[in-house]
Parts: sequence; C-alpha cells; structure tokens
Amino acid sequence: MNAAACYFVNGMESETSAIARGLRRRDPDLLDRLIEQYQHRLLRYLIYLTSNRELAEDMFQETWIRVLERGHQYDPKYEFSTWLLSIARHLTVDYLRKKKPTSLDGLLDEEEGISLDPPDLRPSALEMIAQQEQSEQISAALVGIAAEYREAIVLRFQEGLALDEIAAVTGAPLGTVKSRLYRGLNALLPRLKGAQA
Amino acid sequence: MNRDPHQQARELIACGSQGLTDSQQTWLQIHLDQCASCHDYAQAAEQFVRSLRSVPVAADPSLVRSTQMRVRVHAQQLQQRQERLWLVWMSCIVVGLSAAITTPLLWRGFEWIGEWAHVSSPVWQVGFMVFWISPALAASLIFLARGVHLTDTNGTSRG
Repeated sequence: MNAAACYFVNGMESETSAIARGLRRRDPDLLDRLIEQYQHRLLRYLIYLTSNRELAEDMFQETWIRVLERGHQYDPKYEFSTWLLSIARHLTVDYLRKKKPTSLDGLLDEEEGISLDPPDLRPSALEMIAQQEQSEQISAALVGIAAEYREAIVLRFQEGLALDEIAAVTGAPLGTVKSRLYRGLNALLPRLKGAQA
Repeated sequence: MNRDPHQQARELIACGSQGLTDSQQTWLQIHLDQCASCHDYAQAAEQFVRSLRSVPVAADPSLVRSTQMRVRVHAQQLQQRQERLWLVWMSCIVVGLSAAITTPLLWRGFEWIGEWAHVSSPVWQVGFMVFWISPALAASLIFLARGVHLTDTNGTSRG
C-alpha cells in the first residue's frame, strides 16, 4: 500500500473511530453534525426505497432516533454511511412489512407516487421545467421496477456505494446484488427509452 | 461452457466501472468497440446514471431541524433513564450489602429475644422472617399500586 492510500485509510479509520466514540457517548453535537452531513443521502435513499416522500421523512427521523439508541453497536471498521443506510433500510422494511406483509412492491401507492421537490437552486424557468420533466421520467421509471432492483440501482449509481457495501446494507450476497443491478438496469432502460420516444 | 458475451458485457456494465477489475474493464472495452448493441446499452446506462444524479432530492431544512431537536430531546430522556437506572443499581447494591451485614445480627437479636421471652424457636424464627421481608413486601405493594394507578390513568386518557 502506498503512502497516500495508507494515509487515506488511516484518516478514514480515525474519522469512523471518532464517530463511534461520539455515538457511544450519545454526543448531541456529533449527532447534529451527522444529521447535517448525511441528510440528503439518507432522504434520497428513503424516498426511492418507499416511493413516498412523507413516509421517507418519517423514516428519516426514526432512523436518527435509532442511531442514537443503537450508536454503541456501530463498528468503526465500516463506513458510517453504510451502517446508517442499513439502519434506515431495516426500519423501513419492518414498517412496510407491518403495513402490508406481502412484499415491498405491494406498498407502492400509485396514486401517491413520488413527490420529488425541485431544488432550491433555480437557474431559469426553462431549465427548471426540463429538470422537472427529467426527474419525473426517472422517478416514474424507477417506481415501475421491483423495489429490490430499485434499491440496488439507487445505492450503486446515485449513492455511489461499492458492491460489497450494497451487500452490507441490504444483507444480500454479492452475487444477488450484481444480479439485481443487472436485472434492474435491464428493466429500467427500456422504460426510459419509451418515455423519451 | 461459454457464456453469452453480450449478457456478460451487460452484467459488467450494470456493476458500474468502479466495481470492475482492470482485466474486466479491458475485456468490456474491446467488446463495446465491436458490438454496437452493447455499446448503445452502455451509453443508455451512462445517460441514465447522469440523469439519476441530476435528480434534485433535498431534505427540507425544517425536517433537519426538527430531527435534530427530536434527537436531542430523546438523548436527554435516555440520559435521565440511564441515571435513574444507575441509581436503582446502586440502591440494590447498598441494600444487598446492608442485608448481608445486618441479617446475622438481626438473627442473633431475635434469638436472644426468643430466649428472654421463653418462646419456642419456630415462633421467633417466623417473627424474624416477617420482620425481614416486610420492607420488600411494603415496597412491592407500593409499586404494584402505582403500576395499577398508571395503567388506569393511561386507559382513561386513551378512552
């Protein structure tokens, strides 16, 4: 391992160790900082997981409460984001199972759909409309595929998680993660093509 | 058995370029240069990833603030609960120690009173037992009554 890589790994470990120590102490300042830092990633993931912004926001709050309660279980060997997303996933899946025990897809309420708010940055009305249309197309295409495929795709391509990190978050074997990505992309691309045509 | 190279290429595309080894990337690049269909597939996937990353999903500042507030309040509650629990544990230890020290003395005391009052051993032994368990019995009854009271209160407020 070269010096730069070694420095990077050590730096990451010391950061995760600091997070682990703070979580064990239930340090409210650290939690404030973590909430700020991971707000968008966590909410994005939850919105794609649940297909419902309101539910995603509820799960967002519950996730941080769970982080506070179970902070002592965080292992600094792993990235904090991986642990955070796996907590969010467990909570959401538990909630969705209680609500409708058949499958994650059964919960998708077509009437509610996904309400992705536009960003705060608004360069121009035209750009905004184009961006909004694109967002709606992507959201519609994602909602149309199976929840486990959608989750793998969002974690890989939006959150930029490595394959083994996705496996850790979802609790699925690496082969299953690869297969979900492949099948998900196969299901998704024709939908997007159809929407653009 | 040879696998379908097109399927293999698409599986590699689905993993994303960062998830591939050097040899896989080289093989994929060669295949994409030769196969128009897989090349289109790769471009479509790339376009999708770009579009997905440009989808604006931002957390509302009020959501973040309310979450931070909830977490702080819950942290305080957990802290108080932990302090109470610590107090209970300390009380248990103190009670246990004092019981260990005083029980033999009390036993001797009851024995002496029994001899002085000319009562049989079972009588002063029963007396000792009643005296010994009466604080725990009283505490149990108080907690039980308090629990019933709390249950009633919750039930009434829900109803």
